[in-house]
Amino acid sequence: MTVNLFEDPISPHNESETDLENEIADLERKLAAAKAKRPPHKPRSRPQQPSPEQPLSTPNLSHHFHLLLSDSALPLGSFAFSSGLESYLAHGHKSNPYHPHTSFSAFLPLSISSYASTTLPFVLTAHRNPTFASLVELDDAQDASIICTVGRRASIAQGRALLGIWERSFSQSLPPPPATIDSTIPSEKQKKDLKDFALLVKKSSGKEIPDASAHLAPLFGAICSTVGLTLQQTAYIFLFGHVKALVSAAVRAGMFGPYQAQKVLAGSSVQELITEMIKREWNAPVAKAGQNVPVMDLWFGRHEVLYSRIFNS
Amino acid sequence: MNSPFPKSSSVPGEGHLVAKPLPGGISGLETFTYQYPLKLISPSRPSETESVLVFLLSYGGGLVAGDHVNLKVDVRPKAKLTIVTQGHTKVFTSTSPDIVARQDMHVHIASEGALCLLPDPVQPFAGSVYEQTQIFRLEENASLCLLDWVTQGRTARGENWSFVRWVGRNEIWTAPAVEGDEKAEPRERLLVRDAVILDSNRSHPELALLRDSMHGVGVVGTLLLRGPLMKSLGDFFLAEFAALPRLGARDFRSDAAKQAAALAHSSPREQWRAERLATEKDSKLLWSAANVRGCVVVKFGAPEVEAGRLWIGSMLQEEGSISHHFGDHALMCVR
Repeated sequence: MTVNLFEDPISPHNESETDLENEIADLERKLAAAKAKRPPHKPRSRPQQPSPEQPLSTPNLSHHFHLLLSDSALPLGSFAFSSGLESYLAHGHKSNPYHPHTSFSAFLPLSISSYASTTLPFVLTAHRNPTFASLVELDDAQDASIICTVGRRASIAQGRALLGIWERSFSQSLPPPPATIDSTIPSEKQKKDLKDFALLVKKSSGKEIPDASAHLAPLFGAICSTVGLTLQQTAYIFLFGHVKALVSAAVRAGMFGPYQAQKVLAGSSVQELITEMIKREWNAPVAKAGQNVPVMDLWFGRHEVLYSRIFNS
Repeated sequence: MNSPFPKSSSVPGEGHLVAKPLPGGISGLETFTYQYPLKLISPSRPSETESVLVFLLSYGGGLVAGDHVNLKVDVRPKAKLTIVTQGHTKVFTSTSPDIVARQDMHVHIASEGALCLLPDPVQPFAGSVYEQTQIFRLEENASLCLLDWVTQGRTARGENWSFVRWVGRNEIWTAPAVEGDEKAEPRERLLVRDAVILDSNRSHPELALLRDSMHGVGVVGTLLLRGPLMKSLGDFFLAEFAALPRLGARDFRSDAAKQAAALAHSSPREQWRAERLATEKDSKLLWSAANVRGCVVVKFGAPEVEAGRLWIGSMLQEEGSISHHFGDHALMCVR
């Protein structure tokens, strides 16, 4: 027996055409019946055609502070720090076979990775536990971990600026606890903890080893937690703030202009890098935080031996 | 007690060293135990008596994956201990990234005691996985000199930061005096935590490869100094760092004028500095020094291991504190 491979084994026969018509009609009836059974108050969600957006009746506190804390105009003085970029540029030279070229696109990923590796665990840990005792411990641990004068100066200057903004501006703007039913309202306890911390910082100035120095990372975590930002938002703002400061330093150092700066900031590689770094450090304990780009320590430390400087770090 | 092969402790890789003061102002060993793969040797007839000398060794000159060395060191009041090695500590290739070679050291230095730890660098081979933790607890007036350095591997075999992972962590803590247990506030406090994490696993393709992120540096090191015996050495490093020529400054004098100025007023220290600066420039050595909470932290990096060794040796010998307090044998790994 021969088999014709080109013959369709389920080729339609005349009598089955009517069967098919019947089947289609049957299915259509079933569909209509099923649609009728659907409860009318639960319309199928259609992402293509969203219902018109309704305005909020109460302010969204965490969203408001999200914008405030991510604003470049937040007066932390970040513009005064280049996080080693200026020193990196000064160390690269065509006569140096190991470091002949300098480029922002090479420096940026290294800097984000190094900053995340040394500093982000302090932000995350402080956000998870923003109590007075934890804040003091984290601040002290970070003071011991920053092993260069320039980096310490930058971290403390920005931390104290943030503490000042909190004390003088933010803390009074928060609604009192029973005013709203929003679950993200800061507790009075957290506000008191931050106040006690500010007092300790003031009291310990002038000591050889201060009880509290007000480093940026733990304070940033604690304050973001107090105003209701999520852990992911906090980490993202923190790293993105670092990128913004670097890009602004690059513009002022004459590496590129403002359009290129916005292109870098908007670029997908910055987004991916920040997201990836947050993932990498998410569960890292502060005791295991460390430098993963050793030359960064050298550039940072040697910022002090530059002949001319436009930045503080 | 001074036998080079003392009794062994029972747990693999564990060791315990206790240095105590002996009559006549010299130091000796009270306890001295070790177990494979760790090996300790102390010369029975030491040529120098400023401090007691111990060689920290391992069988085969290195650690294989899965080895765990755990050394506990106690320095009694007024005792002085020097620990050195005999050649690079090799870290051999691991068969799997989760099999780690580990070296831990927990040191307690009592009041007026001192430890000098100037070993050879760690040399991690391609594919090795290594973690090292060194924790020092110092009572008041205790002194510590610690050098921790790591190289790019066996350059002759083309290795260039080709290992899987290298993690080093050094911590200096204050320790409350043992006798003063009754006193209030016997809290330990972290003074310095110096941690380096070198991982070949890039978490994002945009990040540089480990060897590229090192920017041509073939050896990186950290020197940590603390305590009254190291005060002068710490000040020396800070002063030399402050005296470094400014990067980007121009010297508009003619060569003849420069030579005349150099000859006009040059103390031996100034001459040494001029030579050292020239060597630093030639060998592309970069360094920085900082005072961190009462400790001096020196970081350095150089393309060639030998350039790093010569530089740190030259700095320590020129200042002279190490030889004076611990004897010349303390410097044998950095010469």
